[in-house]
Amino acid sequence: MAKVAVVGAGMTRFVRRAQETGRELSWQAAKMALDAAGLRLKDVDAVVIGSAPDAFDGVHMKGEYLADGSGGWCKPTLRCYVGGGTGVFAPIQAWYHIASGRFDTVLVVCEEKMSSCHPHPQGAFLTIFDHTTERALGPNLLWIFALEMNRYMTVHGITKREIAEVAVKNKRNALDHPCAQLGANLTVDDVLASEELAWPVNRLDVSPASDGAAAVVMCSEHVAKRTSPQPVWLEGVGWHLDTAYWTNRDLYYPQYLEYAARMAYDMAGIKEPRKEIHIVEPYDPFDYKELHHLEGLLLCKRGEAARLTVDGVTQRDGDLPVCPSGGLLGVGNPIAAAGLMKVCELFWQLRGEAGKRQVPGMPRRGLAQAWGDLMQVGTVVIMGI
Amino acid sequence: MLSKLTTSAQTRQWPGHIPVEYVYTAGIAGEAFLRALKDRGMLLTSQCPQCQTVYLPARLYCEQCFEETKQYEEIAPKGWVHTYTVAHVDIDGEALAVPQIYAFIRFGGTNGGLIHRLGQTQPHQVSIGMEVEALLLPGKERTGSINDITCFQPTK
Ligand SMILES: [Zn+2]
Repeated sequence: MAKVAVVGAGMTRFVRRAQETGRELSWQAAKMALDAAGLRLKDVDAVVIGSAPDAFDGVHMKGEYLADGSGGWCKPTLRCYVGGGTGVFAPIQAWYHIASGRFDTVLVVCEEKMSSCHPHPQGAFLTIFDHTTERALGPNLLWIFALEMNRYMTVHGITKREIAEVAVKNKRNALDHPCAQLGANLTVDDVLASEELAWPVNRLDVSPASDGAAAVVMCSEHVAKRTSPQPVWLEGVGWHLDTAYWTNRDLYYPQYLEYAARMAYDMAGIKEPRKEIHIVEPYDPFDYKELHHLEGLLLCKRGEAARLTVDGVTQRDGDLPVCPSGGLLGVGNPIAAAGLMKVCELFWQLRGEAGKRQVPGMPRRGLAQAWGDLMQVGTVVIMGI
Repeated sequence: MLSKLTTSAQTRQWPGHIPVEYVYTAGIAGEAFLRALKDRGMLLTSQCPQCQTVYLPARLYCEQCFEETKQYEEIAPKGWVHTYTVAHVDIDGEALAVPQIYAFIRFGGTNGGLIHRLGQTQPHQVSIGMEVEALLLPGKERTGSINDITCFQPTK
């Protein structure tokens, strides 16, 4: 298979309410990624845009709207979308643009401007529920996560206190991220004492709504070797669905992710993920989801992720650093941009450019993952140097 | 088997809606454009330092070069009709009491233009190429909106 590299990354600050339009945010991130790669827009052969529901920005045909800010002027351009999974799905699109041999350099830009949506972006989610069996009950998005979190906790005997450790870790990690929205020094008790939204979910268990954009530049092997002092290779990609009926999933285990992870590990030739992956950026819109996803990624046994967290294994200086960026819980959650932010983080970490966030020990391989659609899609990339 | 519902009584149906509303920002360049219009009745342009394209309305960046278009300049709201249409019905197909003229207006030395109403004229008097200027609301009534321009009208 043709080799594909990431050669530049960029992102805006993630904020609650940006003055910039979505186009302007996209341009800021894309320009930063191109500058980091030492490339110009004219060097870009094709553009991949990732953005989650049009309903967030309040712009239908959002891909077309964002195209000029994403560098798509007079270029082959597509917008991809798998809900929350989009940010890691977008570089996978670019991967097969390049792996096919048709394009050498592809610019990937992910954007979300959730502050446009009033009174809260959650309104856009109310119609994802089945209009015959569920909507009459007035469900909101938190119900899904609360039911899933409870099922996960109960099956494995995990406590809210253990899960809250994830929020504490990620928000603390985010203090070192210059683009972070919610970096904070909190305690587990702070998380447990925050407003109860839908038991067992409290406010500080949840990532915020955010505005922001992120971008990466990806290249074929011969262009990467010519233009980049340190390409970061896409060693594996995987994406997969589970059933879209959430009542047909057990919820205690993210099967969608195991399928996607196995696909990526197979491509990367990884037999023992726990030993061969040095940094993980799993999708953490809720603290329990980081744990859920570590298990789905086969990085620990089912039900074991909470113990790893409590024991400090997933700290930035632990044996398996998880969300050294600060994750969605700390950096923020402009949906598609948040997923690509994780890919940016691996790029910076693996090149030793992560500054105060740098994971010690010269990590050589990392994994980024996102989750979304109707909560049944997993998207995975494995990157290495 | 093909079937066709001819009345809603034949099956269970119920109304619903997607309950979202929006608050938009004009952005960095858009904010500056609206302020120039509100405060001075002028149209703000921005020029690309690389390809020299002058964008109207002003933009933050050049879509062709990806450079920041930092050179801002205000121009008077006087241009010409690039093309136009005359609307006779509304979105529901109902006849408009007065046909409404909508034009794409271009401005000298710039790339881009504005879509706006044409007023103080009649459809049969409009032609492509005719010179027009903005009819602005009085300064105190302007809110920083494209509707601070009431319409474009034939240049006096
Ligand atoms: Zn230019």
